[in-house]
Amino acid sequence: MSKTTEKRPLLEVVDLKQHFPIESGFIIRRQIGAVRAVDGISFTVNEGETLGIVGESGCGKSTTVRSIAQLYKPTSGSVIFDGIDLVNAPREQMLDARKNIQMIFQDPYASLDPRMTVRTIIAEPLEIYRTRGMLDPSVTKDVIERRVEELMERVGLNKAFKNRYPHEFSGGQRQRIGIARALALNPKIILADEPVSALDVSIQSQILNLLHDLQKELGLTYVFIAHDLAVIEYISTRVAVMYLGKIMELSRSSDLYKNPLHPYTKALLSAAPIPDPVIERKRQRIILTGDVPSPNKERFGCYFYDRCPYKMEKCKTNIPPMKRIDENHEVACWLYE
Amino acid sequence: MNLFNKKSNKLQTTNEFNQVVVGNSLTKDAWRRLKKNKMAVISVIIVIVYILLATLAPILPIYPYDEIILDHQHLKPSFSKNAGELLMEKRLADIYTQAWRQGRMQVSEAEEEMLWAWIDSSNANKVWDYMFVVGSEQVAEGTYTLTAAEKRIIENLEKKLQTDLQITVKKVWYTNSETGKKENVARLPVEQVVEIYAEMVGASIASVSNQYEREIEQQLVKVIMAQNTGLTPEEYLLLYDKKLESMSEREHDKLIKENVFSKIVSYAKDIASQDLKTAATDASAEFPLDKEISILGSLSADVEATRKHDRQYYLGTDNQGRDMLSRIIYGGQVSIAIGFIGTITSVLIGIVLGSLAGYLGGKVDYFIMRIVDIMYGLPYMLLVIIAMAIFGRNILNLFFALAIISWLTISRMVRGQIMSLKNQEFIEAARSMGAPTWRIIFKHLVPNSLSVIIVFSTLRIPSFIMTESFLSYLGLGVQAPYASWGSLVGDAVGGMTLYPWKLFFPAATMTIFLFAMNFLGDGLRDAFDPQSKNQL
Repeated sequence: MSKTTEKRPLLEVVDLKQHFPIESGFIIRRQIGAVRAVDGISFTVNEGETLGIVGESGCGKSTTVRSIAQLYKPTSGSVIFDGIDLVNAPREQMLDARKNIQMIFQDPYASLDPRMTVRTIIAEPLEIYRTRGMLDPSVTKDVIERRVEELMERVGLNKAFKNRYPHEFSGGQRQRIGIARALALNPKIILADEPVSALDVSIQSQILNLLHDLQKELGLTYVFIAHDLAVIEYISTRVAVMYLGKIMELSRSSDLYKNPLHPYTKALLSAAPIPDPVIERKRQRIILTGDVPSPNKERFGCYFYDRCPYKMEKCKTNIPPMKRIDENHEVACWLYE
Repeated sequence: MNLFNKKSNKLQTTNEFNQVVVGNSLTKDAWRRLKKNKMAVISVIIVIVYILLATLAPILPIYPYDEIILDHQHLKPSFSKNAGELLMEKRLADIYTQAWRQGRMQVSEAEEEMLWAWIDSSNANKVWDYMFVVGSEQVAEGTYTLTAAEKRIIENLEKKLQTDLQITVKKVWYTNSETGKKENVARLPVEQVVEIYAEMVGASIASVSNQYEREIEQQLVKVIMAQNTGLTPEEYLLLYDKKLESMSEREHDKLIKENVFSKIVSYAKDIASQDLKTAATDASAEFPLDKEISILGSLSADVEATRKHDRQYYLGTDNQGRDMLSRIIYGGQVSIAIGFIGTITSVLIGIVLGSLAGYLGGKVDYFIMRIVDIMYGLPYMLLVIIAMAIFGRNILNLFFALAIISWLTISRMVRGQIMSLKNQEFIEAARSMGAPTWRIIFKHLVPNSLSVIIVFSTLRIPSFIMTESFLSYLGLGVQAPYASWGSLVGDAVGGMTLYPWKLFFPAATMTIFLFAMNFLGDGLRDAFDPQSKNQL
């Protein structure tokens, strides 16, 4: 029974493209190209699971998440949440559905308005939806006040601090405030954009445990971005590996770490240090040549072609589709045809 | 009571784990830092004193700023001497100087040389002051005797100083002969007021009414002529008839009553001044005095009388005999109001347009900024002068002309601030929560750029006052009898060498205020920016 509910897709991303135009010209602006930050990715997120997204800087992880949250208007493709296509739905409907999609941001110092008290920050989503008339009419100021206190206790903050300002807190505490804010509207899915990468390792583990506990208690679904492979391994049910705006490999977390298929995933995993000096000394690194190419130009072959150690003639002109290897493992590479 | 309870309950602690900690906001922090800055605190105090003086001007014990006393032209500022003494001093100095110039008064060789040197460098004030001292000494020693004519002049002046009275009729009372009740004439019905006046001057009611009808007609036609120019006399009459028709009975009665009552008052004043003048001559009354005088039979009046020349001018008088102190205070009203209102309007326009341009970007930004660029290109002063010329010279138009032109810099600055803020993560967070644009702008972006805006507008106030002063100096600002610091300085420049106090006091007042404003602005900037290098 529980297995079937877990398998129900909550969020479905279909061929999502996010291109940012490059314009030039003095008075009449012409588009002379586009930065293809996300270039056609598809995946589903099931209810109650955590989808981790990994990849190096600039591969489009954050853009993907922001496109899902409708912070940018996607160039094409669709984001289907609970049966509603957020990209094409009317604004009211989109806003109503997006109540269930909240974000946690990377930088706990920049993501909180320095001129607001903790209470105002946490209550803000509630206030916004209340003024929009999209909340239950029973939600009054007092209810919001109590909700704020409850949220602060839930994320492990003393509710006595609700009149304080963000600059009076440490990084970990601020990230807790950010999490409380994301939880305020009782969302179903939380998009976490590198929520721990700006924190100390010890604080990282606290925040990760908090997120884990919240998932268990509230039945949340996460889309979790990180560039730290250990973090992803710890928290994710499934992992998507991104490179240059494309998903290279999508697999169950345990499978991916045991049996990486895509050459890029292999290289990525081999770059992660192992916290055991004996094994670490024997670790073989796959060194990729060159840099990540510019995402400005359109590609007709495999996106990893330029740096792939196993590249073939076929890879140059044909984009590899996602190929299902087994039930929980997909890869986009011609090696596994 | 309940309200207070609620508030205090919020901050009450039930146990040590359940306490409410009041946070330290950035604004509070800035205020704390500002309080450490001595210059800024002094500036705040100065500014507050100025604003209080300007707003409380009507209830301050100062002379009216527009009261012209022609005898008191160009009196020196003095704390010890009143206007009469100053007048006498002036007259004596004049007489002694005349006497010296005509060779009737002898001074030493060295003094002679010095006096001529002063005359050559047109230092008339010094000559007069010196001659007054020398002349008084010589008269006391008996080396110089005043001629008969001079003695008469002095006596006449003394008498004038004794008897010149300023009389104000506060209330006119009518004692009803039948009931014996005293009634305030100003509160009586029209018919009765007319009756009283007729009885007073001994004319028939018909002739009185004939007179006031004519006077009211003249008054109204004058108003109509001021409002519409270039019409034929027939058209004026037509307009007048229309005006009479549109007027209600009550308004008409009010006009009649005003007319007749003012006549009664001036009649009462005439009689009172005759009475009091004799009293002043034979010194049978003490001045200032405040008493009831009977005028005619059943009429009496509450009269207040002071000696006109007992006045004290601490900061001197101007060329019309108006008190400089009250003119500076009332001028401050206009100047400070222009500073604040101009800044507030320009800041409001600047914030709205700047934040829209900055946040929305793209075409909106492009158009708003091009408008700003174009308006920057136009000569600022010329625009204000043209606006003042088109819309007429009054204070409101001055506010308007200054405000429409001065939002440019603020909007650019706000735009820059907002462009740097809008990519911050907390703005993205607000957008991810579904916050509408206005909320993002006015709840997140504007409060976060407010410190810069406050600093800028504080520094902006002096520049508004300067602009207004400049316009007033050119004669485009406020018009007499109103004053502003700029117009006072402008009026004073003509007689700068003879009457330096007319220039010095308004200029000093303005300078102190501008200094205070600038120091305050600097202090605020340091307070809002903890990283700034020159903080205390």
